[in-house]
Amino acid sequence: METAVSVVVDATLITLILALAAFGLAIIYGLVGVINMGHGAFLTLGAYLTWAATTAGVPFVPAVLLAALGVGLVGLALEHLIIRHFYDRPFDTLLLTWAFFLVMTEIIKIVFGTDFRNVASPLAGAIDLGTVKIPIYRATIALVSLALIGGTAFVFYRTTLGIKIRALIQNREVASLLGLDIALMYKLVFGVGACAAGLAGGLISPMLSVDPYIGNVFLVRSFFVVIVGGVGQLLGGTLIGSFFIGGSETLFALFSKQVFAQTVVFLLAIIVLRFRPAGLLRAR
Amino acid sequence: MTVDADKRFPAAGRITWRDIGASETGVAVVVLAIFALLPMVVSGYPIYILPQYMLFGMMAMSLGLMWGFVGILSFGQAGFFALGAYTMGLAMHTNWGINPAYVGLLLSLVVGGTLAAVVGYFLFSAGVRATYFVLVTLALSIMVEQVAVSQSEITGGWNGMFIDRMSLTFGPLGDVPLFDDAPAYYAVLPVVALSYVLLRWLVSARFGKILAGIRENEDRMTALGYNISVHKTRAFALSGAIACFAGALYGTHANFVAPSLGGVLFSTEVVVWVAIGGRHSLLGALLGGILVASLSNYLSTVTPEYWQLVLGLIFIAVIVFFKGGVAGAVAQLPRLWRTGRQP
Amino acid sequence: MTELLRTEGLAKRFAGLVANEDIDFRLEAGTIRCVIGPNGAGKTTFISMISGHLSPTEGRIFYKGRDVTPLSVVKRARVGIARKFQTPTVFDNLTAYQNVELAVLGTSCPSHKRRQRIFEVLDLIRLSELWDMPVQFLSHGQRQWLEVGLLIGVEAELLLLDEPTAGMTAEETGSTAKLVQRLARDYRLSVIIIEHDINFIRDLRAPVTVLHLGRVLREGSFDEVAADEQVREVYLGQDAG
Repeated sequence: METAVSVVVDATLITLILALAAFGLAIIYGLVGVINMGHGAFLTLGAYLTWAATTAGVPFVPAVLLAALGVGLVGLALEHLIIRHFYDRPFDTLLLTWAFFLVMTEIIKIVFGTDFRNVASPLAGAIDLGTVKIPIYRATIALVSLALIGGTAFVFYRTTLGIKIRALIQNREVASLLGLDIALMYKLVFGVGACAAGLAGGLISPMLSVDPYIGNVFLVRSFFVVIVGGVGQLLGGTLIGSFFIGGSETLFALFSKQVFAQTVVFLLAIIVLRFRPAGLLRAR
Repeated sequence: MTVDADKRFPAAGRITWRDIGASETGVAVVVLAIFALLPMVVSGYPIYILPQYMLFGMMAMSLGLMWGFVGILSFGQAGFFALGAYTMGLAMHTNWGINPAYVGLLLSLVVGGTLAAVVGYFLFSAGVRATYFVLVTLALSIMVEQVAVSQSEITGGWNGMFIDRMSLTFGPLGDVPLFDDAPAYYAVLPVVALSYVLLRWLVSARFGKILAGIRENEDRMTALGYNISVHKTRAFALSGAIACFAGALYGTHANFVAPSLGGVLFSTEVVVWVAIGGRHSLLGALLGGILVASLSNYLSTVTPEYWQLVLGLIFIAVIVFFKGGVAGAVAQLPRLWRTGRQP
Repeated sequence: MTELLRTEGLAKRFAGLVANEDIDFRLEAGTIRCVIGPNGAGKTTFISMISGHLSPTEGRIFYKGRDVTPLSVVKRARVGIARKFQTPTVFDNLTAYQNVELAVLGTSCPSHKRRQRIFEVLDLIRLSELWDMPVQFLSHGQRQWLEVGLLIGVEAELLLLDEPTAGMTAEETGSTAKLVQRLARDYRLSVIIIEHDINFIRDLRAPVTVLHLGRVLREGSFDEVAADEQVREVYLGQDAG
């Protein structure tokens, strides 16, 4: 019983944190179709900027927002300088974003060094449910994740601006006929995706030791989240994908080592990708 | 109507499938000759370390085969490489009455080839997109790393595994231990050279032509009756076997393997080598592997961060401006020179 | 004459939309058949079901008396059914020689006779002199011919040609009709052609099947079909606008 409760709590927390980490990727891949291999670098940069800001005395929440803004700007720069010329060549954007990851990682190493950095958790302590203890910070992040994904999905699916953006992206011809600036929309979405990744990196930073490769832990898992959930399914897809990846990892970790559980989950994700390449949601 | 094609078009069929291929033969002979003669002029560290870079180059060729000739990019070649090294390490403890290193080499071919064939067919038969193949192979290399870490009783986990240098045994003719640098060098060089020759021959044979057809137009190949998933699977199995075999030799040469050898960073470094060397040229991939890895090793001690940064920027420049890498650029030089001379 | 291809009650529906319905079709070996019909008549759907690119909702396809309905594109190509697509689908970056070589490599042609065979095909499609040209530089008509050449090279017995003269000059269209006739007469190949070009169809002097709204409206010689009231109506109804 105790394990059952703690597994459910763990699975929920991991699902939502993973969803947070994958969300920026889901936006960029789902809406502009770029396989953003630089996602890990966005996360890492978000974490380091948060560390830098808090170290400089900025309180945690504004520090995270600043980090998100910074990563968003870097994303915009990347889009403007390179990616926008390659939208019709998805394979090249894959390689170029990976190259961005390599370059960004080295810049981070040069600027911040390679030592582990720690961001102090702004909310210490845990909620005691008798049988299990839930760290307050993790619980808060889980809620923030839910709110962020729900909020963004709301913007994209319920507000005029969001619906416009999606419609334009799905039908470039109509957009250009209407004289709307499709290039600007792509830029905006790319920037928002980078921003979301930076925010995620900042929020996750107190839970881990920050090192230059921290984002890599999430890169492949984020991709599997997006693919398993269904590309373009921002709300349901991201959550289901995260539950599939994160939740099952928690389950398998009960029976084996954490690292090995990840291997099993990757294997499962590959099988899903083979039989349901459009994701679990869409292939009903 | 009978046509004597040989008389009318004597060149046809002999030169048409060269791509960059045939023109690189001369360079390849010179390069291999230099490598063969090198130990007579140089000694010490370069002769110790070069075989390892040559094996990196061999892994790069296994990627070049997939990327340049089939049009499928794998981000998991280092996973096969590490798998080969671990296979070698485990095989070295066997006592089956034959040289355990031979067991390791043979097993590495079987393990790498089988794994690639299974993964390849599983994905290709469903028509999985090239971009997803990148992600799956990336995951594959992470999985090799993770298994190596988690199964520490067998693999030594984070601490890695020590592997003895192998000996060549020729039955009643005697043994040649490869503990010294020069014998080891001369054992690895022919293997790398042979794998280059084998691959060059394969890509110009029926096998390679069909792969080129698949790279150019899958729909047309299917409508002509070619089962493209089978051909892709063959190519990937070969690629996996070669990378794994190279890894096995690397393991026994370096005396050591750690999980990071199969990891994401190393796996994608291979992609950078091949992109810079030239993805459409096997020699480009081989030299890309050897030279960039050597340079990385040298410059990492001098200026580690900036070198990686520069390498990343070169990678971007190659993708944006020189898709054919150095080999592609060199192959275009004569043409530029000719057109430049025209009035 | 021996029957090469037969379909029984062939139907294809896309989510309730009828593309093909109840098509009974018969083709003798070594003959040509034109399939015509206004846009949306279901011509390409019909050919796609025979080539295996689409699987029928209902009905069966028999090739040389064998039920090939469950066979994939690859397997149908292996039994001798080959298709030319609406837009030329060739290997753009390869030379004409290499293109045909890829087709010949799929046959049992021994390697020492391969070159001879490739030039036979290239002669037939009049591309011998351009054997070393990357085919992206060929004219649209030449690329159409090249694709037909691929079907010959792979030794197909039933050629499915989807608008082979699209984008051709009048002269090219004329020689295409001669090529197709020659394939049937000298090489005993059977050909199903989808076409719009009335002159081309007339030149072919082959039986015509008219599709309308997914069904067979009329079958007969060109003159019979051209004189048919219903057929005229269908075409006029479309052209009137």
